Amino acid sequence: MTVVLIVALLTGAILFGIGLYGALSQTNLVMIMMGVELMLAGAMVNLVAFWRFLHPEVYSGQMFVLVVMTVMALEMAVGFGVAIARFRAKGSVEMEEAEDLKG
Amino acid sequence: MYAQAFFVAVFGLAAIGFGVVVFRTSSMVRSALALLFSQTAVGCMFLAMQTEFLGVLQIMMMATEMSIMAIFMVMFMMDPGGLGGMDMSHQKRFSIGAGVSAAIVAIAVALLSDWGPAAEQVPDAEAQTRALGVELLGRSMMIFETAGITILTAMIAATAVAIPVKNLAGKDDKEASE
Repeated sequence: MTVVLIVALLTGAILFGIGLYGALSQTNLVMIMMGVELMLAGAMVNLVAFWRFLHPEVYSGQMFVLVVMTVMALEMAVGFGVAIARFRAKGSVEMEEAEDLKG
Repeated sequence: MYAQAFFVAVFGLAAIGFGVVVFRTSSMVRSALALLFSQTAVGCMFLAMQTEFLGVLQIMMMATEMSIMAIFMVMFMMDPGGLGGMDMSHQKRFSIGAGVSAAIVAIAVALLSDWGPAAEQVPDAEAQTRALGVELLGRSMMIFETAGITILTAMIAATAVAIPVKNLAGKDDKEASE
């Protein structure tokens, strides 16, 4: 049964790596958000696997997954808000053109 | 047991495969759909791991979220159809290095840690949903409520950021001159 846990953890690790690559390499804000979503998906796979195979009697594990899902929705809401504001102001959501945000 | 390992592996491979496609295709709609399929495969992994409530929730949430994302992609991308063959990436070598390093470290932790004996049995779907409900409305109620208030605040903040700014100072000047 531990094999399933390892398979799930490996999947989570690879999804996190792909998401990190996307978040760092993309120039468009929406694509960067997609990378962050993949990283959070990797974290959720790990959380569910830990709950199922290590502590199925403690429901705080499932609660934690709900919190991560909320964070995903928050990231989308705030990201799209920023994208719309940026598009209105500059006509583009390319992050390479966002040097004016530098403090 | 073997069936569970098989299905978790198959859905895991699907999630990884579609995750790679997100950053490989030049069409933005295909990117959003690939992310939708990847997240759905993650939801199916939850189902294969006997976490039915969260699996169904994941699939439902991501179907909505990625549909919205596809619309935003078409609205905001410089080349939504991907017909121009534009390259919208930078610092590729550093990004690949960071992604591979993070994955290798996480894989090493997964393989080298002693996770102890795995639980054989889990409560059935009905008992799980009931226990999660009791957890949400009992011990974890404050966390749950805080998450709800936080998402409401973020939605209001996102709307406030997104609406156009009215130039009130300019309006006053105009009224004064009239």
